[in-house]
Amino acid sequence: MIELVYSPRWFYGKDIAIDLISIFVLSLIAFFSIKYYRLNRKNKKYIFLASSFIMMALSFMFKIITNFTIYYHVLETKQIGFVRLTYFSTQPSNILFFAGFLGYRILMLLGLYMLCSIYIKQSKANIILTAYLILALSYFSRSAYYIFHLTALILLVIITSKYLENYKKTKHSTNKWLFYSFATITASNIIFIFVKISAVLYVIAEIVQLIGYVGLLITFTKVLKDGKKKGKK
Amino acid sequence: MARKRERSDIVLDMLLSIQEKGGRIKPTHLMYKANLAHKQMKTYLEELVEKNFVKKIKDNNYEYITITETGMKFVKTIRQMKEFEKTFGL
Repeated sequence: MIELVYSPRWFYGKDIAIDLISIFVLSLIAFFSIKYYRLNRKNKKYIFLASSFIMMALSFMFKIITNFTIYYHVLETKQIGFVRLTYFSTQPSNILFFAGFLGYRILMLLGLYMLCSIYIKQSKANIILTAYLILALSYFSRSAYYIFHLTALILLVIITSKYLENYKKTKHSTNKWLFYSFATITASNIIFIFVKISAVLYVIAEIVQLIGYVGLLITFTKVLKDGKKKGKK
Repeated sequence: MARKRERSDIVLDMLLSIQEKGGRIKPTHLMYKANLAHKQMKTYLEELVEKNFVKKIKDNNYEYITITETGMKFVKTIRQMKEFEKTFGL
């Protein structure tokens, strides 16, 4: 049977809270990106940024739904003679469970790829091919979970390096914060690759992810604050 | 070569010019400060009045343009948008 639960039992629910925070941050930035797109419809990059963040937020939503099916629905109790047996049962046939994890993987990778595409110009053929490869990879990575995180890591490294380039150019504090936030999210993905080794690594990865998204929230509040303060460009 | 100003840049320049002058400016001064041609300024100004971002008032036979509360809020939003654009490299 495929192993799907990496969280230690005492951490159940806490990772869901962390994912909810991530959803909040991603949705907030997506909302403002749509708002700014309405003011400047010429710049399509706003809509790409919003779409990519919405996809990532939805992906976390899928992860939460999936986690609920694991944590709260498959704890079973059986009475065998005098012995009462309580055990966790992950049912590979559970459609909701697999659809949830598949949705999580597909949306996360497509979201990250869309974010990459803002900074790296690509031909239409290239976009279609990559989207197909992401879909195929998402489906087949169910038996090798680390492949998904490895792919997400590569996409995140590209995005983070672009933000570093941007910071080097502008030397602006919000650019620095954005770079650090994405670097932290990238680091969490490195740890996620190795969660099979120990459940503690899953906890560490989730905490690092939380730090990354809180950093992203701070970056965004700084953007709003700095925008208020500044005079003429 | 300097990039062409976008529509939002021009609107922001106009509103900031009024704000810098204490919220009130003469149309000719606005034209110079926002670096606009006469025809261009007329078009933009009509739009700003229509959207209630600015108001035209008369004082001692001189015409002035004043920024409204809505205009001030819009300046804040545009500044934040520019900051957002710069941060995310859009």
